Amino acid sequence: MLKAKVILVAIGVALAVPQVQAGSTPEEDRKETVEYFKQMFPDVAIEEFVNGQYALDEDRRKQWASMQDFPPYEFAVAEGKVMFETPFANGKTYASCFANNGIGIRQNYPYFDTVKNEVITLELAINRCREANGEPPLGWKKGPIASISAYMASTSQGKPFDIKVPDDAEAQVAYQDGKEFYYSRRGQLNFSCASCHVQNPGKWIRADLLSPTLGQPANFPVHRSKWGELGTLHRRFAGCNNNVRAEPLPAQSEEYRNLEYFLTYMSNGLPVVGPATRP
Amino acid sequence: MNKALLTIGISLGLSVPLAAQAGPEEDFNDLFAKAQSTHKDAGTFQWTVTSDRLSAAESAADNGDYEKAKAMAKEALELAEESVAQRKKQQEAWRNVAIGN
Ligand code: HEC
Repeated sequence: MLKAKVILVAIGVALAVPQVQAGSTPEEDRKETVEYFKQMFPDVAIEEFVNGQYALDEDRRKQWASMQDFPPYEFAVAEGKVMFETPFANGKTYASCFANNGIGIRQNYPYFDTVKNEVITLELAINRCREANGEPPLGWKKGPIASISAYMASTSQGKPFDIKVPDDAEAQVAYQDGKEFYYSRRGQLNFSCASCHVQNPGKWIRADLLSPTLGQPANFPVHRSKWGELGTLHRRFAGCNNNVRAEPLPAQSEEYRNLEYFLTYMSNGLPVVGPATRP
Repeated sequence: MNKALLTIGISLGLSVPLAAQAGPEEDFNDLFAKAQSTHKDAGTFQWTVTSDRLSAAESAADNGDYEKAKAMAKEALELAEESVAQRKKQQEAWRNVAIGN
């Protein structure tokens, strides 16, 4: 039944392709993506997609719900808050680097900086803030940066993602690069991100249940039981690349930032739910 | 004239140790260089299995085991060639599967 639906959806998309000319806008892409997943999972409310695999499987969801009373990232968020509020050696704090003093702004990241001509992720902004204030940068994938990012995300709980791709040639290129990355097959196993997260969400791959593209970055940073700690989105990207035997790119490389830009744009309108837990 | 003879003499003299070397180590060096540059050509499409073979080749060579080093470099080269082919193919192919084209 589900399989039949998936095939129908796939055919629907295949038929739709010639009508939408190459170079469709980000907003056209997003709407089509939402439509695609609605058809694939007609019983799942659209805001639920931010819960990844838990939106798709009742048993997993129950296990997960029982964890929410004492989430394992609580301590890291508290620690992140302290770090966020502790002044640098020069007396300034992180708040001085962000709009609204850094509170309730997660939903606007990443954004495209039209002066620097690059995608600015929240973690990049955190480290740039440190460097501008004479502090050494933090490691990108875990530890303090994940705690600070988790605290900042926690102040945005429930706010809808509002990623903008400005009418700017470089911004469009960054978005298109991210999209190309997501759909390009990589690694010895010859899989694209989409092979798993567009074509096969809701299916099991060994012990893992595949999540859909939609909502994917909304729960980051994430506490994985496999990691036993919080990790950033780019840590997850690296893991997914590695799983198909593709050489991961450095965290916060231009490629991964553009990928995050595309992926987060697809989740526009969905709520921030990070930090969260995953297996 | 004498100088020319001398040059010939020197190059002959030099060619002896070179010829003695032209065995597994030289073969390895050529193969390894080729594998490395092909791997580099894969750009953001490099495979971890290629990197693994390249490291294995290097450590075998460090241990003087040029037969193993050559075998690893050869595997690395083949894998790297596949990854380059993948990169080239995906330049167009990704569009056919993308939502929103
Ligand atoms: C071979 C299948 C496969 C491929 C290819 C793959 N992933 Fe994943 N991915 C997984 C699995 C399995 C998980 C863990 C289960 C889940 O949450 O989907 C996961 C999880 C994720 C998550 C976390 C979702 C959450 O709810 O926390 C993100 C984000 C993600 N992948 C992005 C990507 C990106 C970007 C790519 C391409 C670079 C990619 N994946 C390629 C299998 C894959």
